[in-house]
Amino acid sequence: MSFLTVQRLSKAYKKQEVIQDLSFTVDRLETLVVFGPSGAGKTVLLRLIAGMIRPDRGNIIVDGRDITDLNPEHRHLGMAFQNFALYPHMTAYENIASPLRSRRIAQSEVDQRVHEVAKLLRIDHVVSHLPKALSNGQKQRTALARSLIAKPNLILLDDPLRNVDAKVRYEMRLELPQLLRARETTVVYVTQDYKEAMALGDRIAVLVDGRIEQIATPREIYERPANSRIARLFGDPPINLLPVSTVPGSQGAQIRVASTDVALPGGAGARDGCVLGLRPEDVAVGFEAQPGAMPVEIDAVTPLNDREVMLLRARDGTEIFASAPQGHMAGSGQRGRREAWATLDLSHSHFFDTAGGARL
Amino acid sequence: MKSASFSPVRGILMLIVAVFFLFPLIWIVLMSFETNGDILRSPPRLFFSPTLHNYVSLILGKLGGGVGTMTVDYMRNMMNSVILSVCSVVVSLILGVPAAYAFARFKFRGGEDMAFTLLSFRFAPPLLVLLPLLRYFQVIGLYDTYFGLVWVYQLITLPLVLWIVRGYFEDVSEDIELAYRLDGHSWLATFFKIAIPLARPGIAAAALLAFIYAWNNFIFALILGSSSVQPVTVGALAFITASGIEYGQIAAALVLSVIPTLVLAIFTQRYLVEGLSLGAIKG
Amino acid sequence: MATLDLDDISKIYPGSRDRAVDHVSMKIEDGEIIALLGSSGCGKTSTLRMVAGFESVTEGTVKLGDRIVNNLKPAERNIAMAFEGYALYPPLKVRDNIAFSLLRDRTPRAEIDKRVGEISDMLELGPMMERYPPGLSGGQQQRVSLARALIRKAAIYLLDEPMSQLEPQLRALLRARIKDHLIANKMTTVIVTHDQTEAIALADRIAVMDNGLLQQFGTPEDLRERPSNLFVASFIGEPPMNLFSAEVAGGVLQVFDNEGAAAFTLPLRQGALPPGSRVMIGMRPHKLRVSEDLAGATLRGRVVTNHWLGDHSHVGVQVGGCFLIAVAGRHVVAPVGAEVGIIAPEDAVHVFDVANGQAIRHGLHDQATAA
Repeated sequence: MSFLTVQRLSKAYKKQEVIQDLSFTVDRLETLVVFGPSGAGKTVLLRLIAGMIRPDRGNIIVDGRDITDLNPEHRHLGMAFQNFALYPHMTAYENIASPLRSRRIAQSEVDQRVHEVAKLLRIDHVVSHLPKALSNGQKQRTALARSLIAKPNLILLDDPLRNVDAKVRYEMRLELPQLLRARETTVVYVTQDYKEAMALGDRIAVLVDGRIEQIATPREIYERPANSRIARLFGDPPINLLPVSTVPGSQGAQIRVASTDVALPGGAGARDGCVLGLRPEDVAVGFEAQPGAMPVEIDAVTPLNDREVMLLRARDGTEIFASAPQGHMAGSGQRGRREAWATLDLSHSHFFDTAGGARL
Repeated sequence: MKSASFSPVRGILMLIVAVFFLFPLIWIVLMSFETNGDILRSPPRLFFSPTLHNYVSLILGKLGGGVGTMTVDYMRNMMNSVILSVCSVVVSLILGVPAAYAFARFKFRGGEDMAFTLLSFRFAPPLLVLLPLLRYFQVIGLYDTYFGLVWVYQLITLPLVLWIVRGYFEDVSEDIELAYRLDGHSWLATFFKIAIPLARPGIAAAALLAFIYAWNNFIFALILGSSSVQPVTVGALAFITASGIEYGQIAAALVLSVIPTLVLAIFTQRYLVEGLSLGAIKG
Repeated sequence: MATLDLDDISKIYPGSRDRAVDHVSMKIEDGEIIALLGSSGCGKTSTLRMVAGFESVTEGTVKLGDRIVNNLKPAERNIAMAFEGYALYPPLKVRDNIAFSLLRDRTPRAEIDKRVGEISDMLELGPMMERYPPGLSGGQQQRVSLARALIRKAAIYLLDEPMSQLEPQLRALLRARIKDHLIANKMTTVIVTHDQTEAIALADRIAVMDNGLLQQFGTPEDLRERPSNLFVASFIGEPPMNLFSAEVAGGVLQVFDNEGAAAFTLPLRQGALPPGSRVMIGMRPHKLRVSEDLAGATLRGRVVTNHWLGDHSHVGVQVGGCFLIAVAGRHVVAPVGAEVGIIAPEDAVHVFDVANGQAIRHGLHDQATAA
């Protein structure tokens, strides 16, 4: 049973459609991550749900109630913002208590509930401070506490970890799911960090240019992206997109990638003039010639955390990324350009249409 | 390059600037404690026997001139100035702050034009509107009333309040207001509990400026009122008499008339400084 | 192309008594890429500005090649710099911004075109060459600023937060191409960054700074495998090192949780640490292995979070009162709440002094020491 239903929602600014005929549902207690590059319309979508702006067309239904025409104060939503949006003239305590104040709840209960949620977010020692005396991490925890305290059934989180430093962001990425599970709420979470999306989302809606291009579990999106654009948005370094052609006379058992013939297991999917999507982790690098391996030059080794990342250049100039956990790639510690051999593992590969990028 | 070192050249230059700006003020203060005779002495002397005579006669309303005494109710002028300025600022705030909020938050048709029209009142020379106004005021009975003057003063103070406060409202993040409304508060509560407190430094600055402009206004009161409602600026004219100019008393009158604005400026300074430190709103 | 030698340099700003840079010494080889890494206010930018000549050096000497440059103006030092705020010339087209220094040096037109073409291909600037900086996004402006610095022939290249704004999909590619370019042309480079990922990706050696002090200067591997103190250990790595307090008792290392309650023990070889000593231990998440098979595991715990990120997973496991993060290069099937084993190899454990945070040993095996 869906808890939040967005039906054919549209919003235009100056004839520019920012949200285009958008429909999706979110189940009760589900976390839906809305992910997309900047300018895709993520924040506008969230503001439409919050009621700060009104849609040109379409409906928003929460728990069976159509809230499209309600003012924000009557929607009973919790929301946390990218810039925290704390009230700078009120203490953290009053910030957190604000949703209870509007409901005219007795001071003793306010006290008890503020301390409960502040303890949960580990900011109980700073609730008497003004926002300007808080670190960015504490500010965001205060904003989250405020969005949770009135026990709303739906919480909107607008890229809440954008403005906190890397350490706090990582901490919160681990902590948030447990927190949201403990409060039993449905969540719409906006982010432009694919790792956050994969870590936090039960499902991810990929928003590009005001449209949802794919809505699925993180696993499905990573392993079966609907098009090459989405494939490139998930993964660091991003997926290799290589033009391929079939090798004449091989009946589809071989394809030509970067001027090299490679065997294609299963033989399915490839056709002349399509694009091969190959994740960097499916490219292995060695220093000895192997049957079916592609001669390449290693241009640079740029470790990413504890993974090795190599930029390879094929004989025809095509650039290909390879990545592997540390210690799994020979000679990665050396500096400068070197000759090597790349073996492409095509068992998890994707094929996309050259023109529209759609999955084949 | 950052440097906190204090070079002698810089010190001398700063001293010159300070003397240039402060000299007239110090001179006026000194004059207010001198007799007319000391003031007119040539060459002027730096040392003289100070007298409170000028202040005493101002407060008592009896002017001791060269020949005989005359009655000038300067204290009444002071009172008028206070009433006119305070009322003008209060009216401007009541009208201007909500209007500024509307201009800052809502984009409505003709909004920019309206805001600009209001500002353009500041460009027109006052005399342009004064003579017709004088006729109207006499006809409808607003001539020589506080109400009439406060109304006309809005031409000066309202655009000021509107434009300054609007800028401050625009700086308050809309997200903060949205957050407050999502907490369940009405838009009216949001206006009073969030928008106003966050724009307070701007409101204080606008009020202070409006007060100073109203206080220093001369021409409106000169033409649209008689001595019963005229402020200090017009009142000081009384010291230019047929038998001579009472420099000492003019100086004392000026010193007295500066005191309220000075006190107000010092008082509001706290809010102005607070405004700077609230810059961490977006933090 | 030159060496850079910072000899015991300090910076004290006028009106301050603290050293923004506190007796820092570094020798940078010809053609080496180094990163100054630290959070804001650690002294990395002050150090860079002293090298560039924008700040005077309070104490010590800055030597570029074999000249002492302390008293030279920035323009006399032969440096190329990319500024954090880009500092592009707004009235000039992107093309002329990039070519600016070459035009000033009266380089022949043909050579300018060739070099501008190469650098703009490398940084994917082709489509915006005829546009003006104010119309570009932050990421695009940053690339122009990088191009303007890298196109020059200078003794040393100073890059201040050079890639913080790059579009995520381009970042990996540009990092690699720039690194290739720097190495191929033997360019001595100093990169200032707060992002340890960027430092590790690009630099041959990294100088970690905190509070004006140089904490450690070493290769990425040094910082990862042999962090000299707790600060470096907790600054390097995403996810960061798991840190707990511990005590040597009865031949094992007793580890405590945040509340000070006993959480778990680690085996300890005889004589590795004096009995009764209280220490901090760190375990790097990438060295810990999660195992669904409980037999043979060093520790056992319950899965609290399990985030799969495509090419690897981060698994959070509660062991006693301690929360440990482990990174696995695969999809870990264990759901939240499942019991799993953790294998902690001896070399995964780092031991630090409780009082001053200095490393005591790296790994619990026999020969390991911090020195």
